[in-house]
Amino acid sequence: MMARSVKWLLPVPALLLVTGLAGCGTKAAPPGAGTAENINLSLTTVPTTRSIKVSPGNAQIGDCHGGLAGNDTKSTTKKLGFPDGKCFYGKPGANGIFPITITNTGIASDIYVSGSTAIPEDNGTGWRLCNVGEDPAHACTGRLHLVPGTDQYLVRNFSPVDKPDYGGLTDTPSCDHVFRVSHGCLATQGTFQTEGIELIGPSSSTDTSTKWTVTITWMPVPQ
Amino acid sequence: MHLRLWAVGLVSLLMLAVPAAARASVGVGIQAGPVRLTGAAHPGGTYALPPVYVVNTGTQDESLSIRIERLSAGQGRAVPVAWIRPGAVVRLAHNQSARIPLELVVPGAAKPGQYLTDVIVKGSAALSGGGANLDVAAATKLEFRVAPGVVSGSWFAAPFWLWPGIGIVLLIAAAAAVARKFGLRVQIDRVPADAAVLPAGRGDDGA
Repeated sequence: MMARSVKWLLPVPALLLVTGLAGCGTKAAPPGAGTAENINLSLTTVPTTRSIKVSPGNAQIGDCHGGLAGNDTKSTTKKLGFPDGKCFYGKPGANGIFPITITNTGIASDIYVSGSTAIPEDNGTGWRLCNVGEDPAHACTGRLHLVPGTDQYLVRNFSPVDKPDYGGLTDTPSCDHVFRVSHGCLATQGTFQTEGIELIGPSSSTDTSTKWTVTITWMPVPQ
Repeated sequence: MHLRLWAVGLVSLLMLAVPAAARASVGVGIQAGPVRLTGAAHPGGTYALPPVYVVNTGTQDESLSIRIERLSAGQGRAVPVAWIRPGAVVRLAHNQSARIPLELVVPGAAKPGQYLTDVIVKGSAALSGGGANLDVAAATKLEFRVAPGVVSGSWFAAPFWLWPGIGIVLLIAAAAAVARKFGLRVQIDRVPADAAVLPAGRGDDGA
C-alpha cells in the first residue's frame, strides 16, 4: 500500500537527470566543412593603469614658530607650540625647499589630495582639519576664522607654483592645486611636482599627547 | 692593507645604500577602465562585479585595500557604500598585482536608474615625510544600472528552498524504490468483534 502511494515519484530522478544532460550537448561540425588554419599575431599595447608614486625627501618638519612664551607653550625649532603654532616640512617661496615628489606613473588623470584628522598617541581626541578663505569646507573657528580653533588644525601644501590664498586640505579628496597648471589638476603620464607642507596647530588641544600622527594622501582619479 | 680594503668596501656599500634609501617611495595603481556590471541589476539581487586590477608601484611591500567613495563627476545616482562588498586586503611586493573581487548587493527598495561611484585602492605603507605620513591611493569608476522588476531567475539564482526540496523528493523516491524491491509490506488484519472473546480457561486472572 505504502509503496503504491509514492509510485508516482519514481520518474522524478530520471526526469531531472534528462533535463540536466540536455544542456550539455555539443554541436558537430557540418559535413563538408574545411580545415581551419590559424596564424598568431603578437600585439603590444600601452599601459592602461591609473597609478601614482610619492617619494619623500630627507627633510624634517621644522622651522616651527608661534605659541605663547608666557604660557611656556611657545614653539621650539621642531616642536609645535600653542596657540597657533606653525611648522613647515620644506620651505615656501622662490628659493624654497620642496621635499615631496609626486609622480603620475599611470595614464593622464586628475591628481587629488586629502588630509586626515590628526591622531594623538593615546588615541584620544584628535584635531580635525579646518579651512580658511571664502566658502571653506570646514571653517576654522579661531581668531577671525583665519586660524584653527580648539582641536582644529590647518594643512596647506605648497610648491614652486604656489597659490597664496589657498584654503587648506580637507579630509575629502579634492584637486591638488599644485597640479593646477592649465585646467583642473590634470597630470599626464610621467608628470611630477615637488611640494612642501605647512601645518598650523590649534588654539588649544583637549588631548595632552605630545606625539601626533598626520596623514596626507595623493590619488589619481578619472577626469 | 686588509684594513684599507675593508674600509673601501664599507664606503662603497654605503654609497650604494644612500641613493637606494633616497629613492624609497609608496605607490599604487588601479585599472583605468571602469568596473561595469554586465547587464542590469534588479532590486533585491546580489551580483559579482568584475574583479578590479590593483598593483603596487612603490618600492616596498604594501597591503592594498578597497573602499567605495564618489569622486568622479558625471551622471548617475550616488551608490551607498553598503551596496558594495569588496574582497579581502591583499599584500603585494613591488610591482606585484592582483585582482580584488567586488560584490554588488542591491536592496529591494533601490530606485531604478544609472548609478556611478568610484572604487579606490589604498596602500597601507605610508612613508614618513619629516614626521607626517605620506600615503597614496588610486581611483577608477564603478558603473551599473538598476532596472525595475524582480531579480531575473536562473538555475543558480533559484529560491533558497528549491535545492533542498528537490533533495527531499529524491530521498522519498529512493526510499519508495527500496521498499518496492525488498517487498516491505504493512498488513492490517481485521478481526470480528465476537471472535475477540477469549476461550474459557485461557484467562490470566488465575481464578
